[in-house]
Amino acid sequence: MIGTTRDIAIPKIRQNRVTLRKTLIYCALLAAALLLAIILMSLVGSERLPTRASLCALATLGTNACGLTQDQFDILFQIRLPRILLAAAVGGSLATAGAGYQALLRNPLAEPYLLGISNGAAVGTMIALIFFGANEWVRPLLAFTGAIAATFAVYRLARGRAGATPERLILAGVIVTTFLSSVIVFVTTLMDATRIRSFTFWLLGDLSGTSKALLPVAIVIAVLGALALTFNARSLNLLMLGERDAFDLGVEVGRVRIVVFLVASLLVGSSVAASGSVGYVGLVVPHLARLSLGSDNRISIPAATLGGALFVIVADTVARTIIAPRELPVGAITALIGAPLFIYLLKRA
Amino acid sequence: MLSLTIRSIAIVTCTLLLVMSFACNSTPKQSPEGPVTRQLTDDAGRRVSLPARVTRVISLAPNLTEIVFAIGAGDRLVGRTSYCDFPPEAKAVAEVGDTRTPAIETIIGLRPQVVLVSTASQLEVFTQQLQNQHIAVFVTDPHDLEGVFRSIEQVGEILGQKEQSGLLVRKLRERASAVEKAVQGKERVRVFYQLSGEPLYTAGRDAFVTDLMRRAGAKSVTVDVPGAWPKYSNESALAARPDAIILPTGGSMGSANSEVTPALRQSPAAVQGRVYKINDDYLARPGPRAIDGLEAMARALHPDAFK
Repeated sequence: MIGTTRDIAIPKIRQNRVTLRKTLIYCALLAAALLLAIILMSLVGSERLPTRASLCALATLGTNACGLTQDQFDILFQIRLPRILLAAAVGGSLATAGAGYQALLRNPLAEPYLLGISNGAAVGTMIALIFFGANEWVRPLLAFTGAIAATFAVYRLARGRAGATPERLILAGVIVTTFLSSVIVFVTTLMDATRIRSFTFWLLGDLSGTSKALLPVAIVIAVLGALALTFNARSLNLLMLGERDAFDLGVEVGRVRIVVFLVASLLVGSSVAASGSVGYVGLVVPHLARLSLGSDNRISIPAATLGGALFVIVADTVARTIIAPRELPVGAITALIGAPLFIYLLKRA
Repeated sequence: MLSLTIRSIAIVTCTLLLVMSFACNSTPKQSPEGPVTRQLTDDAGRRVSLPARVTRVISLAPNLTEIVFAIGAGDRLVGRTSYCDFPPEAKAVAEVGDTRTPAIETIIGLRPQVVLVSTASQLEVFTQQLQNQHIAVFVTDPHDLEGVFRSIEQVGEILGQKEQSGLLVRKLRERASAVEKAVQGKERVRVFYQLSGEPLYTAGRDAFVTDLMRRAGAKSVTVDVPGAWPKYSNESALAARPDAIILPTGGSMGSANSEVTPALRQSPAAVQGRVYKINDDYLARPGPRAIDGLEAMARALHPDAFK
């Protein structure tokens, strides 16, 4: 018994090293692409800014205006850059959460939206908006609470005598989603017309109201959430073999499940509170990551985080420039890109 | 067994429906107030057939309710939306839902001869249903102050109050031209109209308030943006550097929209304290009180012209 463990331990360490190196290389590449996207996308917008001066100002991190006027400087650093960073945080959060759910439930369609968690967060945010107005702290708190409550509801509904099978979970998710959608429709019908316009826009996902207080919270949660799920990636790999096998291989199935659910809810809650419901990110990006880099979660989860950030940054740039100076909700763009892409991926797989 | 039950239910249902449709057809198709005697063209370009004398009317927009009362026909209004809160007497009239989801059964139950709506959007199916019940639907769609005057005259014609509506339009025209005369020759103030702050919405080319701003001696910085109420880019709002900001608030909006959006807090308008809150009911409802909105805006933007 002891002998066999030692026998397989040596190649395993070597294999782990290879995976670690591969992960680091891919993540470094994606991070470089993300940085490039942040810089490039902050050069475009409904107002034209001088490219050279903007690059210079960005390079000095805003310590030097490099000849930009006060207004141009404010546009770049008070409006555009915060919005791009929020897009990155939201995209990273949603894609990470999607990758986590998919690995945990062994279901490629598992996604914050399909499981009703986004809708839970949306109801929480709606309650915050109606009863607490524009308070920046109540919003993410209630969104998180809503996401947790929806997750809990899905989980309890799905738990049968044979434990929570992936099929039951998805079905429970559909039930919770449709129920919460009705709640949203009901409340928006009761709201008066002056508020309904901004609210429907928000339901489609909108990054224009980037709040100074929410931005750092969203970024910190996105980074910590991605790290937490990446550290659980090996357990998730084993869980993909089946809960029984994972348990036999020493995975604390119950603990991993709770950690992933909590972290993913936190990620969804913070992104919905900041930007409303941006769809398809949690579905398309992890798929793309797995298709191109393989299904090892140690690579695909961090890759999905960075890829999701990249995806939403580009989508939001389209949303804010395509009919400038008017704007589209970013959720409409992610769905327009995401739905056909997803059909293509399904056909290819 | 089950399919047999379903089939028998289906047969019974079909028979019932058939009988009912015959029963409906057998009643004479005539409106209670006698034959149709006149036709009017509404703002959607539809020919609307109307009875000679209209005694029962429903309004599905607050501006139209205000017009009906202003021309002295409030006693013939039998239904209104939940947003129709002016004049106070309007609140005594039966509610038929809100502007987006009026209750068709309640409307039919009130036996109106005409239903007045503002803009034809979303009312296609609805209009068809009412026409099947021999209830005329008249669409108004004012995009400027002239459009408001036209709406008043149309409602006057429908309700046989042409004298009153003519008088009202004359009075309103006088007030409007007094304002335009006072601000004539004054330098136009570059104004940003903030319909809502977060997300940022403004008044575009087709908004009725854009015409009001022009008449009040303002130049809306978003006058060329397509649409009536576009969602607007924060950075474009900042770059526009407006000299004044108008916040429609305090009416139906309550205390909402009473703060300048973050992107405009450093604008010349905000720095110089030229942020004006004006009752949103005056500016959002293309009715008689639009002139109050016009006067309020002109007085705020050009105080020296009204000394």
